[in-house]
Amino acid sequence: MSGNRGKTIVLWIFVIFGLVMLSAPTLVVLGASFTSGNIITFPPDGFSLKWYAKIAGASDLRGAFLRSLVVASICTVIAVPAGTLAGIALSKYAVRMEKTIQVYLLLPFTIPLIGSGIGLMLVLGNAGMLGQLWPVGLACCVINLPFMIWAVTASASGLDPDLELAAANLGAPPLQTFLHVTLPAVTPGIITGALLMFILALNEFLVSLLLVDARIVTLPVQIYNSIRSIITPDLAAISVVFIACAAAAIFLLDRLVGLDIFLKSK
Amino acid sequence: MPDAANAATARDGRGEAPIAVSVRHVNMVYNGQHAVKDASFDLPKGNFLTILGPSGSGKTTLLRMIAGFGAPTSGNIVINGRAVGAVPPHRRSIGMVFQKLALFPHMTAAENVAFPLKMRRRDARTIPDKVERYLNLVRLGGLGDRRIHQLSGGQQQRVAIARALVFEPDLLLLDEPLAALDRKLREEMQLEFRRIQRELGVTTINVTHDQREALVVSDEIIVMDKGEIQQKAQPTETYRQPNNPFVANFIGVTNFLQGKALSFEAEGEVRFLHGDVVLRGRAGSAAASLGNGREVRGALRAEQIRIAAEEAALTGLDTVVSGEVEDAIFEGERVVYEISVPALDGAILRVFDHDVVGHTQFEAGRRVFLGWTVKDVLVFAG
Repeated sequence: MSGNRGKTIVLWIFVIFGLVMLSAPTLVVLGASFTSGNIITFPPDGFSLKWYAKIAGASDLRGAFLRSLVVASICTVIAVPAGTLAGIALSKYAVRMEKTIQVYLLLPFTIPLIGSGIGLMLVLGNAGMLGQLWPVGLACCVINLPFMIWAVTASASGLDPDLELAAANLGAPPLQTFLHVTLPAVTPGIITGALLMFILALNEFLVSLLLVDARIVTLPVQIYNSIRSIITPDLAAISVVFIACAAAAIFLLDRLVGLDIFLKSK
Repeated sequence: MPDAANAATARDGRGEAPIAVSVRHVNMVYNGQHAVKDASFDLPKGNFLTILGPSGSGKTTLLRMIAGFGAPTSGNIVINGRAVGAVPPHRRSIGMVFQKLALFPHMTAAENVAFPLKMRRRDARTIPDKVERYLNLVRLGGLGDRRIHQLSGGQQQRVAIARALVFEPDLLLLDEPLAALDRKLREEMQLEFRRIQRELGVTTINVTHDQREALVVSDEIIVMDKGEIQQKAQPTETYRQPNNPFVANFIGVTNFLQGKALSFEAEGEVRFLHGDVVLRGRAGSAAASLGNGREVRGALRAEQIRIAAEEAALTGLDTVVSGEVEDAIFEGERVVYEISVPALDGAILRVFDHDVVGHTQFEAGRRVFLGWTVKDVLVFAG
């Protein structure tokens, strides 16, 4: 009996320790953003929203945030068709050299971001495409595409192959079968993947750092540039805005497809 | 129901029931293995055919080839006079009920049923009426707005049937759709299939491993094993005149008595030696191959063996032996005995007993008498 109780206490200590460690950075940033002082501290020095007012008024931050949204949108727009088709193909058909293709598609995971960043910088630079926003979106798509493929594959592998045969049997030509049966069945995976891609591209720092110049800095790069001069609480405030974006995406995901599908996929 | 003679004339193209499906020398080879081997049969219009066989017998492969999912390695499939070899599944007029039903989960019951009509570009104004008519046919009137997961297993079955029939296909295929249901619901749905099939007169091919279902629903049964058709006959004939030991064993509970053929008597009677005992039976098919001295097997159905406590109660039967009850299993409507018979080299015979009057049940260890007639034993080469 007492052994059981001891076990419970130890378990709870572990759980609480884990939760505190995981949430501490978020809580610190959240707290620090509401400080009324002029330096970033935790616990905050008084309470005010002045740093939020400051970032709302700062045109460079606003511009950077908008650019980040554009980059994230471009990334998502490219990733959805590419990742959906690749994911369906990989999970449903006996594609030749399927294993090789899978490894290749997962490769961006295994290469350090700084490596792929330099590679992309060289390629895009040689093509004379740097200095624009869309190559940054494309680059974010390239390095994060495995997430999209993974989300779609998780959905598509649960798809009963007989569903497509049934559609054919009922008179649907292949394209109609794809539109009416296959696509709806993998929609949860597409939504999950699209939101992931959007958030990842919005937050993407390292590769963006290499691909942007002073005219088109994205928000994470802008923050990084600010840190190099002085650390003021407005950085905490902008971080909170970031966190809010991610939270909104998770909320949207839960509303649209339910978090359970996201959590139980492999 | 067209009888055998009728079907034979239909085959010549002169009878009143034309051939709906003709399968000619169809082979399917996977990795050098014959999944289906030289399958040939004709199915008259309006008939209900069941392909019965254990798993791996090739029955589902054959059905899927008829649906157009996978082309035969060789041979022809002709539906309504048209060879369908090069016709993709969506251009064949075939309704199919899948084993796992394959209903579209993101659509309602009515949308599922409307799907084939939309895909076939039927007049949009007539679709709702038609959908409702077929939902009523399967007794789902008023449930069209339900999502698939809001329906019970039996109701989902009915949606699948309505969806497969609503476009008035030339042929209905059933790929073991009842396998997953519990027994009561399964038996209810078997009768439902039978009712709907008779009502619409649609030619149907049903695939199952359930011998009872095959006997209950079919006009004709094809028994398959190891990719080959073993027998094609009406249910009563399949049961009473099995072509070979496989069919005899697969349908019903059958005791086999091994022996050597001794002599052939009048009216197809065969005498054979089992151990030291001479047994009598009637020749099964291919009696010509049962030469004297050949190994033969006598097949004896469990329900054909009469059981009694006294030898005198079995007078009038051709063969009477004594045995000892090894096990008695009460199954409700009958008692299943396992009885060892010293005179037959200690062979264990399975016996069904329906003692409707006395409700007698013999205990294990009890000495009993078993009896049967010559025509109860069907003798095969073997």
